[in-house]
Amino acid sequence: MSELTLLVLRIGFLILMWAFVFMIVYALRSDLFGTRARKLPPQPTAADPFPASPLPPTPAAAPAPAPAPAAMTEPVRAQPHASGSTPRRLVITSGPKEGMEIELPNEQLTIGRSSESGLVIRDDYTSTHHARLMLWNDEWVIQDLDSTNGTFLDGTRVTLPTPVPVGSTVTIGTTSFELRR
Amino acid sequence: MSATTATGPLTTTIRIRLRTPARLRNLELLLIVVALGVAAAALALVDLGAVGELDTEMFALVALPAGLVLVLHIAERIVAPEGDPFVVPIATALTGLGIAMIHRIDIAEGYEGWAAYGVRQAVWATIAILIAIAGLVIVRNHRVLQRYRYIAMFVGILLLLLPVLPGIGDTGANADVWVRIGFFSMQPGEFAKILLAVFFAGYLVTARDSLSMVGRSILGLRLPRARDLGPILVVWILSMGVIVIQRDLGTALLYFGLFLVMLYVATGRGSWIFIGLALFAVGGWAATRVLPYVQGRFANWLDAFNPEIYEREGGSYQLVQGIFGLADGGLVGTGLGRGRPDIVPLAESDYIIASLGEELGLIGLFAILALYLIFVARGLRIGVAGQDDFGRLLAVGLSFVVGLQVFIVIGGVTRIIPLTGLTTPFLAAGGSSLVANWLIAALLLRLSDAVRQQPHAIVEGGAS
Repeated sequence: MSELTLLVLRIGFLILMWAFVFMIVYALRSDLFGTRARKLPPQPTAADPFPASPLPPTPAAAPAPAPAPAAMTEPVRAQPHASGSTPRRLVITSGPKEGMEIELPNEQLTIGRSSESGLVIRDDYTSTHHARLMLWNDEWVIQDLDSTNGTFLDGTRVTLPTPVPVGSTVTIGTTSFELRR
Repeated sequence: MSATTATGPLTTTIRIRLRTPARLRNLELLLIVVALGVAAAALALVDLGAVGELDTEMFALVALPAGLVLVLHIAERIVAPEGDPFVVPIATALTGLGIAMIHRIDIAEGYEGWAAYGVRQAVWATIAILIAIAGLVIVRNHRVLQRYRYIAMFVGILLLLLPVLPGIGDTGANADVWVRIGFFSMQPGEFAKILLAVFFAGYLVTARDSLSMVGRSILGLRLPRARDLGPILVVWILSMGVIVIQRDLGTALLYFGLFLVMLYVATGRGSWIFIGLALFAVGGWAATRVLPYVQGRFANWLDAFNPEIYEREGGSYQLVQGIFGLADGGLVGTGLGRGRPDIVPLAESDYIIASLGEELGLIGLFAILALYLIFVARGLRIGVAGQDDFGRLLAVGLSFVVGLQVFIVIGGVTRIIPLTGLTTPFLAAGGSSLVANWLIAALLLRLSDAVRQQPHAIVEGGAS
């Protein structure tokens, strides 16, 4: 084994080590830069704002005007909350996935663009880790995780962890949902 | 994977449970294969560089742990299909590099057969991966561990105390961290760190409200009430006891740092870090005054190149030789098998990072540090994304303890902090350390699997 071969092998080994490191870094790049905002198929570019989806998504920042049960703001506790009947489902009431329903997990549901979130919302207004729903004393509480465009509960921006009564609308980007039993 | 097609009217209910486990596992398989390639290349280069021909027996031996890593991978596909795909490849690469380097020291020292540390390390790696597989299969839900938090505490403290018990404590080494029963010796402190992380996580989940809510605000820091200082004082006394009785600075720093960080993460209050660091500084300062061995460590650190300190018993000889080795390695290293890492005492365990630095150079050393960085970052991320408080705290604690240990060892070897004998996770020779760290890897897999086991729905689109 000549010195030259050894030299080449040893430089090659350092390159191999770094190749391994960069393979890992490449594989977890979505962690570093966030998930890409949109995928190609449903993505019309700026020229054509609302085509593909049959239901035009509600304009982003406009939080869905609260429906029938009056625009209740912060004093949500006023609404009596029958104990023992915590919401178990989350129903998307407007947005591209209108009608979709998921079962709420045991302790919390994270919402955001990151693929690790329980509810992944990929639109232009959602942050990587946008908000989370937590179960506190049999009551679902929404917490905004310092998102850029905010989380709205019945039209009011959520700053502190706020309880979400059954039937009130939570808006994140173009998606609104409510909790149901 | 996107479900963009069905956007039915309001009445239609679509229940979605989307997963992409196979993609994660396939990525992991690819990375494991590359990691095994790194390990095999390192071993081959060691033999080529030092002897000139391949040691086929050694290759046959390491095929055993290598095969078991693949078994672990298959086990993951069955019991933890959504576990983090980076933990096992990184652990594999580091363990493999460690075995190669230890084998290289054996060649230099002329150890053969069962006396060779490399052979034993390969066997320990086999056992460690077997235990990791067992851990992954047995612990199907990490919340079960929360139930055993007090047992974990008692066993953890017992393990910490074992080395000083007469009869089984091995006082041959510098610090009393070894237990010897017949032929079998181990460092129980390595396991204690897992148990204490479990205990701290379980305890802080229940206690954090009183630790974070109350207290007065002074100078912008929210100071806790006097009676809430109890737990931190107990842990502080425990770690001071480790310093005094076991003469082991590193272990004390490791446990205290672990508790401090978990306390901070649980309560979100910076004042705990402040109080903890102040307590440790006071304790450390007192120790340098009172305990001669701590004094010696500080003298070695601050004045390493003083000939008097270099020459004396327990002086800075090892530290300085390690630095000379690192300097000799330079940027690209002397090449595996081509340096003289065996000059440093304990080159295969405490000083393995100096040995690697000598033969792989700064470039190789930074690659190793990058692997640790990713490992710890993955652990913290598992904690961030965690579903329950116990799991979150445990993930943070376990990954932080690995990071802190790397810092204490490598910081000691490179003279950033006083040198203390801890093992470098995954790399250093030593069965207890290898088993404990593979167990941590298994627990992180379990925790990350739980993270992704949640209703998973994807809303795509929403153009502006």
